Amino acid sequence: MKKSVMIGLILSLVLLLSFSIVNAQDPVTLVYWSMWNETEGQARVIQDAIANFEAANPHINIEAVWNGRQNQTLVRTALSGGAQVIDLMDQDADQIAGGLMKEGFALPLNDYLQEPALDHEEPLADVFLPNTLNMFAVDGNIYQIPYIYNTVQFWYDKRVFEEVGIEVPQTWDDLLAACDALNAEGYAPIAAEGNEPGYAAFYLTELLARIKGPGWLRQAAADPTGEMWRDPAVLDAAQKTRQLWDNGCVPPETVGYVWPQGQNTLAFGTAAMELVGSWLPVELQNATDPDFQWGGFSFPAIEGGEGSVTDVNALLLSFMINKDTAHPDEAFDFLRYIMSDEIQQKFTDESLVGVTNLYIEWNPIIADASAAASAATSTYGDVDHVASLYSEYLNTVLYPNYVSLWQGSVTPDEYVEMMATQTAEYWAEHPQE
Amino acid sequence: MKVSNRFIILLLLPASALYLTFFLVPTIQALVYSLYDWSGFGEAPRFIGMRNFQELMSDRLFWTSMGNTIAILIIGGIVIFGIAFVMTMMLSSGIRGKKFFRGVIFLPNIIAVIALTTLWGYMYTPRTGLFAAVFDALGLTELARFPWMGPDTIAAAMMIAIIWIEVGFYVVLLLAGVDKIPPDFYESAKLDGATDFQQFRHITVPLLSDVIAIGMVLWSIHAVKIFEFPFAFTGLEPNPNSYTVAVYLYILGFGQRQPIYRLGYATAVGVMLLLVVILIVLVLRRVTRREVYQY
Repeated sequence: MKKSVMIGLILSLVLLLSFSIVNAQDPVTLVYWSMWNETEGQARVIQDAIANFEAANPHINIEAVWNGRQNQTLVRTALSGGAQVIDLMDQDADQIAGGLMKEGFALPLNDYLQEPALDHEEPLADVFLPNTLNMFAVDGNIYQIPYIYNTVQFWYDKRVFEEVGIEVPQTWDDLLAACDALNAEGYAPIAAEGNEPGYAAFYLTELLARIKGPGWLRQAAADPTGEMWRDPAVLDAAQKTRQLWDNGCVPPETVGYVWPQGQNTLAFGTAAMELVGSWLPVELQNATDPDFQWGGFSFPAIEGGEGSVTDVNALLLSFMINKDTAHPDEAFDFLRYIMSDEIQQKFTDESLVGVTNLYIEWNPIIADASAAASAATSTYGDVDHVASLYSEYLNTVLYPNYVSLWQGSVTPDEYVEMMATQTAEYWAEHPQE
Repeated sequence: MKVSNRFIILLLLPASALYLTFFLVPTIQALVYSLYDWSGFGEAPRFIGMRNFQELMSDRLFWTSMGNTIAILIIGGIVIFGIAFVMTMMLSSGIRGKKFFRGVIFLPNIIAVIALTTLWGYMYTPRTGLFAAVFDALGLTELARFPWMGPDTIAAAMMIAIIWIEVGFYVVLLLAGVDKIPPDFYESAKLDGATDFQQFRHITVPLLSDVIAIGMVLWSIHAVKIFEFPFAFTGLEPNPNSYTVAVYLYILGFGQRQPIYRLGYATAVGVMLLLVVILIVLVLRRVTRREVYQY
């Protein structure tokens, strides 16, 4: 009897001890500032992820602040105050690279990424689609976890192409021929936000990527002499830009469209296609008729060009962990969960976006974006990375001049001269380190 | 009852402290930061003297945005005060429903700017906008497709919308001044055979001179730092060719889509803006200085 009492006592003690060890995990609060507004589809998926993660890790509490697209600016302001703790944030990958990452506030994640993924045996680094995780690496260090994947392609209504009897254009000439066929049937071939520099610059980015290959535009932007802009490829790209307008691909009134006026013409069925990110079907889901059949195709090849149609302009959205966080392990555990099959599938199913987990089948509405992402032989960021590397140059030299060309205020020859001269002037005023 | 100076100072102290803390100190700080190269974050500010201002002198976008701002100030100001005077004349002529019309004219001032930009954006949209529908109905198909927000006309399109919004405020301001003018003045003038215009020219305008001066100063300050409407009206990423100075300052310092974050340089833009405001106010004070009528 005494012996059994003793055993019982010891067992109770062991149980008590192990219980207290479990509870000895100090409560952890992670502060996450988000680029989403609270009611957006993507925010709802993250809210579910937070709830599930907290349930599985009772000692962790995640406080989310839903800031919307000005998130990085608000994070910077808060962090500069010194009193605010922010462990995690998310934003467009290009913007993080040119902002907090460049300023040294991002935690390197290489070691964490070698740990196993949640649903797979391989390291987490291996579950990302090719050319995504490394897009913004610096000296081999990875500072971002890209979790949403947007491709820039032409988006169109398959029914219109079938009605007019045209195939997906493979070459620049095919595109011009498609414009003629669409015009003949009374469609405005290409919808565009004519007065939005960011949207207009998709054309410059794609044209130069196809003619000279990805990476050339960013080199031209950084050329302190500006002479690279005198390369015949730039004149060719500028002439092709104007060709779109002069051949009737882009209707003249487009020059006055600001977002979302251009894309609405696609939703209303008056226009046939638009070169834009794969977020378009989501943005237009309430404006298109229920039978709208979304299709996407990559920017056509240019004859004799060095680039390939499998070079993809990938506009990623990423998480970043603050290097000063007191809880890097817990913060990364949450990001590991964001990258799990369950949450990534939810993103694409519920908010119709592309994701970076290679095991996930994207929502059928953006199946063509998924195909492009899977087949990508190389990827490049916004304006061939000029947005993240030389953002002031982009805003003060590249955008204003390309918009002037795009809108027909200057000729292709004048554009080349302006870019060569102003690039040299810019770098004379802002010497590169 | 005589109030001691000490008591008056005591009463002024809280307001003065707030003014010093939240206005004067940041203004002085801004003057200091305009002499630094600073992102507003991370690395410590680096003193560069007047280099930000030197750079501004050759900054094309700064001068483009200054040109746009001055255009809003001068052209917008002339049209706004012209319309406001005409409306004031009409509303103070004994018209029935004066309060109703005054309320209707003032209405745009109490609507959120984002709602107004959305409204005007819709009205200007070619093919599917309100103006397009009207022109289509009139058989003017070319005008229905006209790109009002294109590069050649976006400034005018924006100006029309701003004028529509702002006129109401200045009508109310002028009307408040007109209401204080004794009716005897107008009755005497009528007996002497003065026309409506002569009454307006020789009674209303002189007796409203101080109100007009205040109105012009208010408009000048508002026009020079105008931000919300141009920023929201010109799309997701405003076309740099249509920046106002305040929009350019914001994009340089705080970023819209692109992470420029040159807070020191943006502050120099802000200092230039401050100098422009001071200059305009000084000029206006000199131009509008005149005898104050007692009545």
